[in-house]
Amino acid sequence: CIYLVISLLVSLILLGVPFLFASNSSTYPEKLSAYECGFDPFGDARSRFDIRFYLVSILFIIFDLEVTFFFPWAVSLNKIDLFGFWSMMAFLLILTIGFLYEWKR
Amino acid sequence: MILSVSSSLALVSGLMVVRAKNPVHSVLFFILVFCDTSGLLLLLGLDFFAMIFLVVYIGAIAVLFLFVVMMFNIQIAEIHEEVLRYLPVSGIIGLIFWWEMFFILDNETIPLLPTHRKTTSLRYTVYAGKVRSWTNLETLGNLLYTYYFVWFLVSSLILLVAMIGAIVQTMHSTTKVQRQDVFRRNAIDFRRTIMRRTTDQISDSHALD
Repeated sequence: CIYLVISLLVSLILLGVPFLFASNSSTYPEKLSAYECGFDPFGDARSRFDIRFYLVSILFIIFDLEVTFFFPWAVSLNKIDLFGFWSMMAFLLILTIGFLYEWKR
Repeated sequence: MILSVSSSLALVSGLMVVRAKNPVHSVLFFILVFCDTSGLLLLLGLDFFAMIFLVVYIGAIAVLFLFVVMMFNIQIAEIHEEVLRYLPVSGIIGLIFWWEMFFILDNETIPLLPTHRKTTSLRYTVYAGKVRSWTNLETLGNLLYTYYFVWFLVSSLILLVAMIGAIVQTMHSTTKVQRQDVFRRNAIDFRRTIMRRTTDQISDSHALD
């Protein structure tokens, strides 16, 4: 319980102290908007997004779930004698097929 | 006390996901919903699943939502004047949801109205847990890979399908990229790559492509 209180306190202090030191008068909307050589900002500053970033994120989920399946197996390996070991190896084989496909593409 | 804090925060954040004007605020409240649900799971005694919620849901799925918010130029919502337009249909769906909730909220196990405050609920001790208490991970691991291994392998197939599906969907656009096949490129006879036609136009055609 003390740990929770201390961690909460530390993070709140780190968040709140900059507000004490920031000056309120030197931020106004003109200063905060995008800079385009003195002109008014033309449009949004976003560029075209390559979809491969999203693919990386999706593949991260998939392999993260695979790791999630690994966790209980690793803990209880002495109870599931050989059968459990080989069932995990089958799981790994199926996922390695997917991984090879991903590597080739 | 933690139950009431977590669950109330979860409800409020869930409401704010829908109501927030800025889409980034929406995603942040979404993350808060998962945090609170993770806390609720901790109270149920499912410590493994609480941590997995944090890692998988927040670390991966909320990041996915964040990507979507980043990618598309979602303007800050200006349609908040027309919210009453959706009231009939959404009201019906909400009422159906509440009606189904009342099937679960049996007053014996999950008290809805504070009528039985005086009576203490029966507590029973699981003595097997006092001899050797198994962690969540151990119990899962003991059963998942031996007795229920079929479902485990089915889940691996589902993950495989998801992986290949995602790759096929996105690699569609990059397969149109022209690649050089080095061996073919070396095998072309240079004398015959440019052919002059009988008309005046000189067209450049690769003989083997």
